[in-house]
Amino acid sequence: MTKGRIRNNVRRLRFDRSEMTQQELAEKVGVTRQTVIAIEQDKYSPSLEVAFRIARVFGVPLEAVFQYETTGPDGNDAR
Amino acid sequence: MDLSYQEKSILGSLLAMVVVYGYYFAAVLRDAGRPEFDGGSLTRLILAVIAIIVIEIVYHIVLALESKPEPKDERDILIECKAYRNAYFLLATGAFLVIACVIMATLAREAAPTRIIVTPFITVNLVLLFMVLAELMKFLTQLFYYRQGLR
Repeated sequence: MTKGRIRNNVRRLRFDRSEMTQQELAEKVGVTRQTVIAIEQDKYSPSLEVAFRIARVFGVPLEAVFQYETTGPDGNDAR
Repeated sequence: MDLSYQEKSILGSLLAMVVVYGYYFAAVLRDAGRPEFDGGSLTRLILAVIAIIVIEIVYHIVLALESKPEPKDERDILIECKAYRNAYFLLATGAFLVIACVIMATLAREAAPTRIIVTPFITVNLVLLFMVLAELMKFLTQLFYYRQGLR
């Protein structure tokens, strides 16, 4: 069975947007700063609604923020 | 260690419960031979509950002054749900154990004279112990997921 993992570019996108702080992003999205930190560290995968809100804040499609990566049983990347 | 408002809140509640109920159950152990859950036992329990409420109120006032309170978001609620699930399993296990304990003690008493006596005092405090353990399990699960993350 393949294992999936959600990766994200939130940290890079924040810095691309004139170094937006985690607190600013959290306020725009409607979550706590701790949740933004957890998302950036891949410790939390947000709900679809929050994912769309993050993408909207950065003005990019969802796929530009979040990617679903899978690894096959042989350990190969099967994205 | 950088703790969020929620983590500080949970940690305070956890410590308050450990201290107050630790003291309460130490007193219960000393009086384990009591047959009934009488007025004195009830007073001690009420005092423990009042102590918890007072400590929680004072602690959360201080915490609110020291760090800005944050409303719960979806991650906090998800972590809380997982914590309640673990607490529920512990509480349900405890309830079955207390029921089994009372039934077995009754059967043993009917079969032969025995020293195994489950008094109302022990029964009430066993139920209370599992309620407290379930609450502690909830706090510990929350702290675990806040540190380890949800994946």
